[in-house]
Amino acid sequence: MMRRWIFPILAGGILGVGAYQATLLATPYALMQAAMMKVGKQGPANQFAFAPMTTAENQTIVRPSPDLSYSTCVFDVSKGPVLVDVQPVPDHYWSVSIFDARTDVAAVRSDRDTKGKAARLALLKAGQTAPAGYEPVRVGYDRGIVLIRILVAPASTFPTIDAIRRKSTCKQL
Amino acid sequence: MKRWQRYGICITLGLLGGGALAVQAIRGGLNDGTVEIGPWQTGKSFGTVDASTLTRAKVALTGLLALPSKEAMYFTAQNDSDGRALDGRCTYVVRGGKLDGRWWSVTLYEGEGWLVKNAAKRWSVPASAVQTDEAGGWSFTVAPSAQAGTWLPTGSVPKFDLTLRLYHPSAMTIESPETAKLPTIERKECV
Repeated sequence: MMRRWIFPILAGGILGVGAYQATLLATPYALMQAAMMKVGKQGPANQFAFAPMTTAENQTIVRPSPDLSYSTCVFDVSKGPVLVDVQPVPDHYWSVSIFDARTDVAAVRSDRDTKGKAARLALLKAGQTAPAGYEPVRVGYDRGIVLIRILVAPASTFPTIDAIRRKSTCKQL
Repeated sequence: MKRWQRYGICITLGLLGGGALAVQAIRGGLNDGTVEIGPWQTGKSFGTVDASTLTRAKVALTGLLALPSKEAMYFTAQNDSDGRALDGRCTYVVRGGKLDGRWWSVTLYEGEGWLVKNAAKRWSVPASAVQTDEAGGWSFTVAPSAQAGTWLPTGSVPKFDLTLRLYHPSAMTIESPETAKLPTIERKECV
């Protein structure tokens, strides 16, 4: 009697292990896809959306910092390189980070890296080349998120910082 | 029972069980590849290709778009310094000294990482908000109701966590986070 169940149980066990791994593997892609859809509602692809300071009432991405201003761009390099120009904010921490569809960081540059100058990045997939003056950043997937963080301290400096960050651009070449 | 029925039952249970175990593992605490420093936990591989499949899934759920450690480190506390779960109906004193990085802040979250609604509209304590003594020491209070000094509201939620962000941490902290001198979380009275 029990012998009839041995192979079905083995098959179920093997597929169970597969389902476990598949769920772990799929989770980052699914959550990143959901994030890109949320961010995408704030503006078209390959263009920055400049969010207001995060509060309990307007949070869209999990675990936000209410001390940072966030500017996001859903990039898509399928039709060509995407150029990211980040306007520096003097005397404030800022960084630009590139997240791929698997949630991995393809690049991060901060005011410490650029010594306070602008960051100019070209997001490229295989076969694409960066124009002169841009640092090449290879991305493993066509789509992802560019995120600029700027420390807003004290909070009263936000209007000044907001005016500066709106000079940053994300655009397809 | 026919053969196909036996296979059908076992395969269905296997797929459902495997998926359910994965969800449980992802929703569990960040204990995969993490380092504990007092009540705080952190990982060395957040946001990098070195992250394990489980760590990547957990970070995607509770800290999507986290930065790698060379840029920022995230230390999260779900318990006080005595190991008791953080409870929004209790008062806590968070006490620390100079942190080994360029800038820090402590933010209060509930659930998977959401800011808690509160009348004061205050969700974090950045370094600039605390007063330091001559030795570099500082403290602030986490409590459901207004407190003297720097106050971080809990919104009276039954369960919360604190995330300490340390931007541009020192090389020593990146390499050996277990040596970092992080704040203590001391529970006072509960209502």
